[in-house]
Amino acid sequence: MISIKNLHASIEDKEILKGIDLEVKAGEVHAIMGPNGSGKSTLASVLAGREDYEITEGSVTFENEDLLELSPEERAQKGIFLAFQYPVEIPGVSTTNFLKTAINQVREARGQKALDAVHFLKLMKEKMKLVDIDQALLSRSLNEGFSGGEKKRNEIFQMAMLEPKLAVLDETDSGLDIDALKIVADGVNTLKTKDTATIVVTHYQRLLEYIVPDYVHVLYQGRIVKSGDKSLAFELEEKGYDWIKEEVAAI
Amino acid sequence: MIKDAPAILENIASTFKGNKAQKSALDMLNEVGLPHRKSEAYKFTPITSLLEKNIDFQSIVADVFDADKLYDEAGSHLVFINGELDIEKSTIADALKFEVAEVSEGKHDPFSLLNAAYAKEEIRIESGYEEPVFVYHFNSNGFTNPRIKVNVKDGHTFRIIEKLITPEEQKTFTNSYIDFNVGKNAFGYHTKVQNYNAETFSHETVVAHVSRDGQFYNNTFSFEGAMVRNNLTINLEDENTEGHMYGLFLLDKKSHVDNNTSVDHTKPNSFSNELYKGILDEKSTGVFNGKIYVRQDAQKTNAFQSNNNILLSEDATLHTKPQLEIWADDVKCSHGCTSGQLDEDAIFYLRARGIKEKNAKAMILKAFAIETMQHIKVESVKEEVQQLVDLKLG
Ligand SMILES: Nc1ncnc2c1ncn2[C@@H]1O[C@H](COP(=O)(O)OP(=O)(O)OP(=O)(O)O)[C@@H](O)[C@H]1O
Ligand SMILES: [Mg+2]
Repeated sequence: MISIKNLHASIEDKEILKGIDLEVKAGEVHAIMGPNGSGKSTLASVLAGREDYEITEGSVTFENEDLLELSPEERAQKGIFLAFQYPVEIPGVSTTNFLKTAINQVREARGQKALDAVHFLKLMKEKMKLVDIDQALLSRSLNEGFSGGEKKRNEIFQMAMLEPKLAVLDETDSGLDIDALKIVADGVNTLKTKDTATIVVTHYQRLLEYIVPDYVHVLYQGRIVKSGDKSLAFELEEKGYDWIKEEVAAI
Repeated sequence: MIKDAPAILENIASTFKGNKAQKSALDMLNEVGLPHRKSEAYKFTPITSLLEKNIDFQSIVADVFDADKLYDEAGSHLVFINGELDIEKSTIADALKFEVAEVSEGKHDPFSLLNAAYAKEEIRIESGYEEPVFVYHFNSNGFTNPRIKVNVKDGHTFRIIEKLITPEEQKTFTNSYIDFNVGKNAFGYHTKVQNYNAETFSHETVVAHVSRDGQFYNNTFSFEGAMVRNNLTINLEDENTEGHMYGLFLLDKKSHVDNNTSVDHTKPNSFSNELYKGILDEKSTGVFNGKIYVRQDAQKTNAFQSNNNILLSEDATLHTKPQLEIWADDVKCSHGCTSGQLDEDAIFYLRARGIKEKNAKAMILKAFAIETMQHIKVESVKEEVQQLVDLKLG
């Protein structure tokens, strides 16, 4: 589905991603772990089309199309979704209010008819149940005064509404209590099909008990320095990152 | 003795036809002069030189009345053509008390004096009639001085919606003056939509005197104009009074809008709330100056002020200045000015959800502007402002 080759990205002349290679196929779940500041969110932002980063080398192909050529909205329209590590506050704009525009612009780009108010509300109701989110929250200014958990739940609600092909979840587990974690994970699992893929960025093995990855990668200093199956996440949970850093230093 | 800008005052002196009260206003005006380059109050709007450069004060041009510009609303519609009430073009309910009078006095600042001296008539409107009163100024002459006095009687609620219409191809200067006397336990509302053009120059004075338990609201929405100066003064003259000031200036091209507001708390337990927002694009200029006075007697005053601005272009200019002068000690005052660019993170967030960049920006800006529109109570005015905002923001 997505193929990342030798991807280099810089911001303000500082190279953050230093040659990422990653191949994700439909139906797969990939977890990306790694110490703070290693470039996980940068990778996620670059995939979503953040223009602050300069791509200096490499390529990203999404469903046989050059992803780097596309604007953020075109990527979303083609089915890429980023659940933000730090969802932004937008005063005066409610989730309900912008999602209606978002869904209809996505539908338009896909050659589908716009949803009318009745069908939109029906869809909302259905997806609200999925992540157990309150109507009141969706009518408030986006993320303004939301608790950490509410923000993350709202991200997954939006994902449910937009039904992406590739979801990139950047630390969606941080700030969630144990019940919320289960609900969010269940939501993500329900949305998973053989035609969709998920990249989960996390620091904790706990989330991966619920969203079980096919592969686990360690991102360190802008490179994927180790890949394995879900047992790698256990190992990291137990031993931390020092042994990986040492391995990297030895090379 | 004329201190400055003698050119303008001399130029129009020959057209003076005023009564005794107007003559004394003229004398006073000659005494104080028009603002000069260093006048603090007009620091960012060099009004005298702009007028000198642009305005032919004596030009007389065919009128530009256009019935389509009238709001489709019940209520009275007062049509002024070049400063004179045109009864035939107006719709005036029988119940509305109004009077076409001579100017009776002129006070204070240069432009109020200028208005008093050169106004052709003074319209007095009195509450006692429920529906809103719409006032239109169709001004095509070089220099016009509309003058209105509104009396909101004790316990009454009265709404005035005012609008200036000028020709696109003609440079005009409108120097308007409206004065509200808000009685005990009375509510006065005043709303203006300033969607002018590149040839419109205006100086618009709004003064309100608020009596015990009374409230005054002003809403000013500015979209275009070569030079628009709004002087809004609310005098809270007794206890338990309220003054509300809401404004939006959403400008592009070379529009220049200067909002100079002032609220004066003189007695205990009064409240004022001010919220102005600016969105400046292209080569536009926005000025906000908000003065709050809290006199020694005015204990337990609550006064809030904020002015937030978004600059969309590097060529746009903004000047914002709060000015608090507080002599009482038991008061709650807060003020804040912010200005910045559009929030890139917010735009990216919306785009990442599939919304086109253009729409994402418009969405954020509309949400920013909407707060200033909450106090418009007349439906078609609300619609008009909404449409202008949509039009400007795409
Ligand atoms: N605008 C910027 N200017 C300079 N450096 C930046 C900028 N944005 C990110 N960086 C740097 O890029 C590096 C990678 O940041 P990134 O957010 O991708 O890390 P991360 O792996 O997601 O970390 P965390 O686990 O803490 O979320 C960090 O060192 C960060 O300081
Ligand atoms: Mg991160």
